[in-house]
Amino acid sequence: MSANTARCPMGHGTTELPEQAESRPTHVGGVQHSGAKEVPVVNWLQPAQLLADPYGSYARLRTEAPVAWVPMLNKFLVTSYAGCHEIEQDQSIFSANVSGSTMNRAIRAHPMLRKDDPEHATDRLAVNPVLRPKNIKEAWAEVFARNADIYLDELEDVGPDNADLNRDYAAPLAAKNLGDLVGLKDVDVQTVRTWSHDFIAGIGNVLDDPEIWRRCEASTEQADALINELIPHYQLHPNASMLSAWANSGLPDANIAANVKLSISGGMNEPQHMVTNIVWALSNHPDQREQVLADPTRWTAVFDEAVRWLSPIGMYPRETTVDTVLEGVRIPAGSGIAVVVAAANHDPAQFGENAADFDISRPKKSHLAFGAGVHLCAGHWAAKSAIGQIAVPKAYERFPGLRIEESRPGQWAGWVFRGLTSLPVTWN
Amino acid sequence: MPSITFTQPDGTAQRLEVEQGTTLMRAAVSNGIDGIVGECGGQAMCATCHVYIRPEYADALPELGADEDEMLDCTAAERTERSRLGCQISTGASLPEIIVDIPAGQV
Repeated sequence: MSANTARCPMGHGTTELPEQAESRPTHVGGVQHSGAKEVPVVNWLQPAQLLADPYGSYARLRTEAPVAWVPMLNKFLVTSYAGCHEIEQDQSIFSANVSGSTMNRAIRAHPMLRKDDPEHATDRLAVNPVLRPKNIKEAWAEVFARNADIYLDELEDVGPDNADLNRDYAAPLAAKNLGDLVGLKDVDVQTVRTWSHDFIAGIGNVLDDPEIWRRCEASTEQADALINELIPHYQLHPNASMLSAWANSGLPDANIAANVKLSISGGMNEPQHMVTNIVWALSNHPDQREQVLADPTRWTAVFDEAVRWLSPIGMYPRETTVDTVLEGVRIPAGSGIAVVVAAANHDPAQFGENAADFDISRPKKSHLAFGAGVHLCAGHWAAKSAIGQIAVPKAYERFPGLRIEESRPGQWAGWVFRGLTSLPVTWN
Repeated sequence: MPSITFTQPDGTAQRLEVEQGTTLMRAAVSNGIDGIVGECGGQAMCATCHVYIRPEYADALPELGADEDEMLDCTAAERTERSRLGCQISTGASLPEIIVDIPAGQV
């Protein structure tokens, strides 16, 4: 082994380090059962407020009760960085295999995101090689760039007076990239979007709307039929896609179908939202936009800061397997836990007093936008490449002066999954 | 019990006694050692448990795997010939003790 001069394909790598050393909050060893606090109960959360802008509620929760029982959601909400981080360090206490999983019902299967190790690892390790930085760069960066060009052309055709960055670029591009990377072959972009939307609606269908379950059923049937055709195809004709890796992994077909449908559910909205989030953030911080346009090596920091500041996945579930104590709060076995990573990502204890600000020059710190631990987003390198290094920089190259168009307001939506459903833009 | 000594960039050293088979990453994360993140939980999908191995232990280490080699290109601090991922190195009979240096940054 020799000192290596290779560079990370994603632009991660040796950089000027900030003066201060890494300083995570530390939680040493075993849980202290004595002296645990009474469980704080929070009844003041307003669904309408969470949907409009959850960050004010998150700040109050984090300050007053970072581990709180919320009857409205029938869950403990965890909003501090330390609490969310601790959860992800121990899947034997905080299981991903949650009761009544809407995800499992939506895709009518049990994907790796709702399993713990070792069952989770069997599914996950098969696809990791596709999604490490080297394969993303060598097999996929060119595809992501070509796809970006296709939809930049369409955006240009719509023109600076009518363009909507979500509708005309982010949404179709994310679906096209996903279809290619997963290996859905000839499925058209609109079908990928329909399946993904139906599955996501099912995952969020806590109110049990039968129409949503009906849509999930239809999309599941279509997706399963395709996957069943593609598994033998990729066994004969392997390529660099996720489906090919799974098809040649020796895993049962049911596991493959479950995880392909998981990838369709979880691989579209988030990259889509990151395209618009970054343009929204830079439009509102023109000084930082000028910095990155003058120095393209800063795109790595722009992506990382935007995904922390406006995390597309705000919250995900876990369930306790035993009685435990988290951050001093007693939690019984079998409790539903909401890991509110969007709140943790604004925690001043981790990110300093300006945690709520967008600042591409802030000291580098771990955040939880991709989760942490064994369920760390499998596609995080793909997202950094497809969106952070390609889709957004290319948009600014193509359209000088790209910015939000104030006269046509955009629309934010959601809190469990949060993003811009429209973002009118213009350019010079 | 095997022992792992983590040395911080400022020279402070912390020695842990761990169960056989514990990885350097898991030992650090479970015991709140600053400077080891272990973001991906040990599947060589990130490079945030980067450590510099003291040369006297180099021969006792498992071979550098292709996945680990690839991820070491993405470390935040400089990769050197002493660089390894802490999640890929377990303590045990062939490695009853080890001393590692923690880099100045992981993200």
